Amino acid sequence: MPLTTPWRSRALTAALLAAVLTTSTACGDDAPGTSAGGPIKIGLLASLSGTYQAVGTEIRDGFQLYLDTHDGKLGGRQVDLIVADEGNGAQTAVPAATKLLKQDRVSALTGIVGGGSVAGVTPVLNETKVPLVGSNGRPELKDVSRVWHTSYLSDEPGAAIAQHVRDNVKGSVYAIGPDYQGGWDELRGFTDAFGKIGGKLANADGKTTFTPFPATTNFLPYFARIKASGAAAVYTFYAGSAAVDFVKQYAQSEIKDIPLYAAGFLTEGGVLNAQGEAARDIYSVLNYSPDLDNAENRAFVAAWKAKHDGSPTTYALASYDAAAVLDRAIGAAGSDPTPEAINTAIGQLGQIASPRGTWQFSTTTHSPVQKWYLRQVRQDGRALSNTVVGDLATVGR
Amino acid sequence: MIAVAAGTNRIDPYLIPALDGVAYGLLVFVAASGLVVCFGVANILNLAHGLLYAIGGYTAAALLDGGWASLALALAVGVLAAAAAGVLLAGLLTPVATGNHLSQALLTFGVALAGGSLLVAGFGPDNPQVQVPSALEGSVMIAGHRYAAYRLVFIVVAAVLAAALYLVVRRTRAGMLVRAAVDDPEMVACLGVSPARIRAGVLAAAGALAGAAGVLGAPIIGPGTGTADTVLLLSLVVVVLGGLGSMAGTLLAALAIGEIQTLGVALLPSAAPFLLFAAMAAVLAVRARGLAGRWRTA
Repeated sequence: MPLTTPWRSRALTAALLAAVLTTSTACGDDAPGTSAGGPIKIGLLASLSGTYQAVGTEIRDGFQLYLDTHDGKLGGRQVDLIVADEGNGAQTAVPAATKLLKQDRVSALTGIVGGGSVAGVTPVLNETKVPLVGSNGRPELKDVSRVWHTSYLSDEPGAAIAQHVRDNVKGSVYAIGPDYQGGWDELRGFTDAFGKIGGKLANADGKTTFTPFPATTNFLPYFARIKASGAAAVYTFYAGSAAVDFVKQYAQSEIKDIPLYAAGFLTEGGVLNAQGEAARDIYSVLNYSPDLDNAENRAFVAAWKAKHDGSPTTYALASYDAAAVLDRAIGAAGSDPTPEAINTAIGQLGQIASPRGTWQFSTTTHSPVQKWYLRQVRQDGRALSNTVVGDLATVGR
Repeated sequence: MIAVAAGTNRIDPYLIPALDGVAYGLLVFVAASGLVVCFGVANILNLAHGLLYAIGGYTAAALLDGGWASLALALAVGVLAAAAAGVLLAGLLTPVATGNHLSQALLTFGVALAGGSLLVAGFGPDNPQVQVPSALEGSVMIAGHRYAAYRLVFIVVAAVLAAALYLVVRRTRAGMLVRAAVDDPEMVACLGVSPARIRAGVLAAAGALAGAAGVLGAPIIGPGTGTADTVLLLSLVVVVLGGLGSMAGTLLAALAIGEIQTLGVALLPSAAPFLLFAAMAAVLAVRARGLAGRWRTA
């Protein structure tokens, strides 16, 4: 029995593989989107279940909003949007993406919440030669020839706010964040830029304090060290439930009067509601805020509020912009918008008008060169909201 | 004079973490005591114990609205719901009650997974906000430091709960039966007390304790997708550190965990990821039976 089972499963795998190969050759001639002006298939992969469900839902709704406000068309073609669930990470994302790319044969892929999921999906993209216009997670990638992002690189928020913190804080700054790749990148962005312009960290060894993630739910011991360090301000990045714990405990702790600066995710979207009054006055840096004063944003926010409760987040905005990018790229790809042609067209888009202000893709990283904004949590009508209080640096490389 | 001042300064930053360690430790004690009683008395390994705490936590999030009445209501509902879940668990466990820990672990773990999914389906995947009574929302000054008022009151309430638990076990008939069941289960059965009834009673009590901890501790270890796992893990560490025999051992272990998680992290932040488990390994290496002896010596 132990001998036969592996053989039988191998035989089964071989048979399945053969079946897949046969179907893909059979479908070989019928390349996607051949008829002029005909419909086009777009795949959207986002976490519709699990830890990042809130972000995934925003990403789906942002893309859908663009379609709804543009007659369901991108580049003049009716869009057949196929939505798949990314789940918690690469383990569920890769099979879902493989189905979209190989079975549904979409012309472009968008969405993807987790950086790990993007890293896992990239080989399949290169194999099928389909472009990804990602709207959130962006890992370190060697080859970005088919990968584009409308979001940001993880070290950019910190780099964008460093000068402002240096100019406005009289004294040293304590840097603290969660101990995982995203936390390292976010904090490194700040500490590198801050150090270059002569800023001093208050941390005992001059290095960022990293808290075990996701195990840390009690931040009081760290607050005691911040108090003892004599820091004049704190810079941090947390997201999700850790952001709620951090902010609520901060507001009741002995360092509650020390100004708190953060990457915008600390107070973005649903976590702000959970933090409530504790989040008041926190400064954060982000590439978007729903109260930005430009025509694109007014239209975007109005359309969003007509369908959803509350204001749109940066996640929804990035996905809305991914649709805008695809709209223009498919339109520019000519009568036969093959995945290759769309990918080439994305690279030639130039300036993109967006609710966040005008931005463009960096030629080296394929992520936006964009302006960052300083926001503060303030009263806005009944609710607390992130209000833009100033422009920060334009970042992108 | 200078030496004294320097001494104060050296201790001063660690005052709040040490105090918070007591709050955290007492919460862990109330949460874990149910598991200890369950395992030590009924000989049932209940891996759904964290779920019972989560039920209390979600109840608190759903019912608390900033008033005292809502806190009383949440406490009553949370305790009853978690106790009912405990009785249900006792019923499910009847076929595997004969002390086969592997079957019990599998069954209760399955219940924990299913129950966790039900809670997420019912309350959503986001961590809900827990609103403590507005009188306790702020912070108080202790020796020149600011500390959350709720946590300070929690220390008092949890200490009262711990004392009450001690008295129940030491002084009441129910407590005597429980202690007798630890010492000599056959004799208790001979006396005409059904083991099934003791089992249901013990699991209901364990559920009530976990539910109370879940409601009162929601502002400290809040309800969320990972809460049940966190609480189960901490409770199991209490079992390892404190042994199964005594209330004093459980309390000692819980307070040790509280201090390790707060004071320990403040003293040695770089060791934070493994401090708790290093302590557990050290205790196991030195004294495999835990920090204190048997229940009857308490």
